[in-house]
Parts: sequence; C-alpha cells; structure tokens
Amino acid sequence: MEGTLGDFITVLRRAGVRISISESLDAVNAAAIIGYDNRRLFKEALAASLAKSHTEKKIFDSCFDNFFSFNFFQSPNKANTLNLEAHTEALKDRLAALVLRDDKGKLAMAMMEAGRMANVSSIKNPMQKSLFTMKILNEMGMPGMEAMVAQIKNSTGSGLSQQTAELLEKGRDDLVDTVKEYVEQQLQLNADGVDSKDQFLKTTPLSQIELRHFHRMDGLIQKLIRQLEDRHSRRLKTADRGKLDYKKTLRKSISYGGFLFAPLWKKKKENRPDVIVICDISRSVLRTVRFLMLFIYGLNKRIGKIHTFIFYSNMIDASYIFDRYSIEEALTKITTDPSLPVIRGKSDYNTMFTNFRDHHLHLVTKNTTVLILGDGRNNFNPPNAEVLKAIGERCKRLIWLNPETKPFWGTGDSEIKTYAPYCHLLQECNTLVHLERVVGTLLSARR
Amino acid sequence: MRKVTNMDWKTDKFSSVQQVMDGMKAAHYICDSQVATTVYIACNIEKPVLVEGPAGVGKTELAKVIAEYLEAPLIRIQCYEGLDESKALYEWKYGKQLLYTQLLKDKLDTIMNKQDKLADSIEKLHQYDDIFFSAHFLEPRPLLKALEQPEGVVLLIDEIDKADEEFEAFLLEVLSDFQVSIPEIGTIKALRKPVVFLTSNNARELSEALKRRCLHLYIPFPSAALEREVIKTRLPQIGERLRKQLVAFIQAVRTLDIRKPPSISETIDWARVLLLMHAESLSKELVGKTLNVILKHEEDIRVVEEKLVSLTVAALKEDADMAGE
Repeated sequence: MEGTLGDFITVLRRAGVRISISESLDAVNAAAIIGYDNRRLFKEALAASLAKSHTEKKIFDSCFDNFFSFNFFQSPNKANTLNLEAHTEALKDRLAALVLRDDKGKLAMAMMEAGRMANVSSIKNPMQKSLFTMKILNEMGMPGMEAMVAQIKNSTGSGLSQQTAELLEKGRDDLVDTVKEYVEQQLQLNADGVDSKDQFLKTTPLSQIELRHFHRMDGLIQKLIRQLEDRHSRRLKTADRGKLDYKKTLRKSISYGGFLFAPLWKKKKENRPDVIVICDISRSVLRTVRFLMLFIYGLNKRIGKIHTFIFYSNMIDASYIFDRYSIEEALTKITTDPSLPVIRGKSDYNTMFTNFRDHHLHLVTKNTTVLILGDGRNNFNPPNAEVLKAIGERCKRLIWLNPETKPFWGTGDSEIKTYAPYCHLLQECNTLVHLERVVGTLLSARR
Repeated sequence: MRKVTNMDWKTDKFSSVQQVMDGMKAAHYICDSQVATTVYIACNIEKPVLVEGPAGVGKTELAKVIAEYLEAPLIRIQCYEGLDESKALYEWKYGKQLLYTQLLKDKLDTIMNKQDKLADSIEKLHQYDDIFFSAHFLEPRPLLKALEQPEGVVLLIDEIDKADEEFEAFLLEVLSDFQVSIPEIGTIKALRKPVVFLTSNNARELSEALKRRCLHLYIPFPSAALEREVIKTRLPQIGERLRKQLVAFIQAVRTLDIRKPPSISETIDWARVLLLMHAESLSKELVGKTLNVILKHEEDIRVVEEKLVSLTVAALKEDADMAGE
C-alpha cells in the first residue's frame, strides 16, 4: 500500500500540490493509524497531512476521487458453465487460465503489476497510449496466450477445443479494452499536471492563448507577481540601512555643544520607479496590453506612480480608468467602451507622439520609466522619432516592448527600426516569460 | 487534576475517530468528521494542527473544547505584530537579578576578600558566574510554560498570521521538536508533548516551512444540517421551526456578495436574540430589526435589506418544504 500511496503523492505533486518528504511520511503514518477500511476517514486523514491550503484541498479532492477509483473488471461474473477439466491444455498458460476462470481480482492485480513494471505512471501524452497498452499486455503474458489460441485453432481438434479458443479470444478482446481504459485513466492522472500546462502557457505567444485559459493565466500572473514582489521587497529591507549623514550629524551636534553625540544616518530611498505606460490598443497588440497591465497594476506596491496612456488613431490619458475601476473592468472598458474618446481607426504613432510632447512631456522626470507597448506599425505616417528622442533623454529609462517576433521588425509599415536607437531597451514581448523578465528589470535596474 | 498524570491520551482519549467526535459533542462542539479525523491523527502522530477558515467558524473554540475533553489546561498565545520571544518564550527576571546582587553584596565581598589579587578574584568569580542566569531567574512565558507542564497541555497559538515572519520562523523549532533553545541554559525539551493548535485567518500567506510541520485543517462555513445541529446543541430551548428558518436565512445570506458573511458565532447570537424576543417564526419586520446582529457592516446591511422580502420568504418556504418531507 505504501507504493500506491507514493504513486498518489506523485500524482498530487504533478497536479500542483507541494508535498515534501516529511509530509509524505505524515501521510503514511496517518494512513497506518486510520487504516484503509473506511474510505471517508482515509481520505480525510490524507487530506489533513497532504493538502495545506484551501485550494490544495480542492485539487486533492478531485485527485483522490480519480486515483482511488477502480472500475475495471466490474462486469458481472459469467455463469461458469465451463468444465475446466476440458481445457487442461489451455490452463497451462497463466494468463489463459485467469481468463478462462474469469478471475477478476487476479486479473486486476496482474494488470496493476504489469503497469508498474511498464512504468505506466510516466505516461505524458496521448501519443504514448498504444505503446503503454502494448507494454502492459506483453508484461501480462499476452503473446503466450495468443500463440496458444492460434495453436488450438490450427489443430483440428474437437468442438470442445474450438469453444475454448473462442472463449479465449473473447477474453482477450475484453482484456485489451480494459487495459486501454486503464492506460487512459493513468494518462488523465499523470499528464494533467498543472506544472507542464503552466510551462506551456508561459511560453505560448500571448496572442494565441485561448480565452478559456485566461483565468489560469491570471492565476499564473498573480504567482509571478508574488515572486517578483518577494524578491524585491527582501532586497529593500537590507538596503534600508544607509551611511553616516555627516552634515546632519554636525548640525545636530550644535545643541550638544559641538560633541558628535548623536550620529544621524542617511536613509536610503526606496527605489520605486514611476512608470508611464503608453499602449497601442489596436487589435494586433491588445492581448499583450491586457497581460502587461495585469502585471503593472498587480505590482503597484513596488511601483510609485503609474500613468497610463492608450492610443489608437489618437491618444487619451487612461490613468483615471485604471484608478477608478478594478483592473478587469478597466481592461474591458478600454477595449470596448464606446463612450471613450478613442478613434478606432488605424494606429498612428505620429499623432500620439505629437500629443504626448504637447501635453504630457512634463510628466517625464529623471525617476520615470517610460514603457511603450506597440508594434511600431505606423500605417506610413511620419515616424516623428525626435519626440521619442526627447522622451528618452528626459527619462530614466525608455523601454519599448514589441509583440511582433523579430523577423517582422522593419518590414512593411513597421517603423520599429527607426525608433530603436532612442530606446534604452527594445524587446520582443509576446509570451508571459518575456513579460515577467521585462517587469523584473523594471523593478531591479538602477541606473 | 492529579489523577490525570499517568493517563495516556492516545489510548484513553484518542482510540478512534468516533470517540473524539463524541467527546467533542459532549463538550457542545458539533463538527464534521474531517475535524475529528484531523484532531485524532494529530494527537496520534504528535503533530501540530494548523486551523484555517473564515472568522467565527470556531477555530479557537476547537482548541478550547479539546482542552476540556482532555481535562488539560489550555495555554494560549494571542499573536500580534511585534510579538517576540521575550513575550512568547521566556524572559530573565531582571528585577530579581538586581535585588539578589544587592542582597548578596556582603556575601560576595567576603568571598572576594579572601583573594588578594585581582586575577584570583576573577578566577573565583568565574566559579559562580552562571548563578544569575539559571532557571531560578527565568520568567517562563506561555511557550516555555507549555513545555514545562508534566501533565501536558493544549497549546493554542491564535492568529499566527498576525505575527511577524520572524516569529513564525522562531516557532519552527517548537513545532517540529517540541523543544526550545535558551542560549544561557541550553535546550529545554517538552516533558510531555503538548497538543498544539495554530489558527490563521489568512491575513497573509504562511511560510511553507510552517505548513510542512503541521497538519492542515480548513473549517468552512457549516452546511445547513450541521448548523442546525450546532444551534440545537447550544440553544436547546429554541423551537424547531424557528431554528430551521433562521439557518436557511443565514445560509442564503452567505451566498450574497457581502463584505463579511455571518459566521456560526453570529448565527448563535442571532438565535439568542430571537429567543429573547420570544419569536416563533421569522418575519420581515423581525429580521429587519435584528439584521445588525448578523451583519457588521453598513453596506452589507443595505445589500441584505434590499432583498429582505425574498430572502425571508425563501427561508420560510425552505422550512415548509422540509416539514412537507
């Protein structure tokens, strides 16, 4: 039973529950104390020792129900009308004997055993199904039985042995089906790992992620945000201690008659960048905008001020939308709300830059990071790169994120190569991994 | 209490899950079997239990009930920001140390006087050095007290999520080995391993290390049947009909989008209030007047008031349905 418990723990780990060795030991102890006879108690015992949060409990419940269900060989026993003595020849083969006797318990045991030998729990994708089915059947001794069936059929024996052959063939087909189902179940259990799916989502281009994965993406982003936050908050704590502030100490010492009595320290300023985000919200970029905004606003503890501008054919200041509404609502608002004064025609970088220079350039200070998200497809308008240059000179850092893959840069109406020299960082950004990296540098880099 | 000394909890009090459940029921604590199973296992494999769940579902109560069940004292640490080991574990009795040095001054003088040289005095002094940092001058705080009880205790570390992360890290030694290290004295091991409960309201995520050392128990809002049972045990005087109605009402309120859904303790309070008002059955006016017992936020009250009629009718109907069955 310990082996099975071990398998179950592996399954849980794959499903995203973090289980350490000490916890598995607890589970084994708990199972030993509770015993295996009462399913409900057994489940509760395992739940207490393995699942360590409410969400993990939910995963646990579904995994438990999947894992500890065994529906194979459940068909009712056939009326055993056979005279087993008549099949002495067939009974020599172990598997054939089991099939003829219709011994379901032993067959199930044999199948599980063969499954373990064939390492079926390592199954990863549906392509491997037939391979593992074959392996398990071989392990159970199917080839031997097949050979024997053929032999019986070929021998021109009595009707009785023909009947045996038929029975065996029928049994074989049933067995193959059952093993197939078993492998299918194992696939469900073992391949449905959150980890691999997350990894997949992290590296899939954002524009191709399907709507149904969105909630999972959001969870993933929350996780990444927490990691980033942990990483950076810890460093701030150690960086908090400053140097001796000599001037202040001197000034203070006047009241003590010139004795340097109370040393004063320079406080290190918390390094919270102000961010100005300028987003192209044309359809080609929209997806990336969504996830970037989730990131930026999720990290607002580590970021000072956030100004958000969105542009399509014109540009508007969208900061108030993000301030007033929850991030989800704000995102739907900027994409669909018809009352916003956005002209949804063709993206126009020229108008955007002119507008920004005329009205908002004062926002850019030496503590600001300007983040421009867009593909630089300007629909053959003048690029107006001198404004970008001006922004780049005023700000701390100018980062351009381009959701297009590199080979497309500079093709057609793309002006990205014209803009490139003025950016401190120009990056391709179309997967979650890219996004995380960018936001990470946003928080960490000190220039 | 004396007679408890040689009693073995494992065999006498924790021989089966059912026994634990019955014991808790006798102490007027109604719970589902997940709670009983977890407590049962925790006591058998000697691990702390981390209890999570929304406020007011009886997390702290659980520890109290177990203490009552075991007839063991309950030692409680209420966690808050800034709680440190001098308040949780031990502190030196500085006053006593000072007083003793003053009182013993003459004595010290006579001892020292025999020595002529300074080096000799220091040598002599070294032979006595640890006197003032011995167990006599140790002021035990809850954690140390819990370890020093020969008869065992139930230790409740309440709202661990309110304490700082440093304190959480400091607890690890206590939770995994039931011992603490005091630099001046050494390691103190538990005379008898206490039954430990930690509660958390999820104000912040607890560290993996802490979770790993505990069994985890999540107590959700109770199901309608369980809640009726709780009310029945706590307030046996209340009528069958009213009980069903008020539980149905509360259950419905919990599904609404409100800031603080009412918990069991609020249900019990409400039942008490209704009992005081000699109510036989819920009505719109009655509910409207007593809403502030179950809801603690102005905006929540407003939300529920809007739907007051439909909620009350639904609760009354629920009761009728059940009577029909």
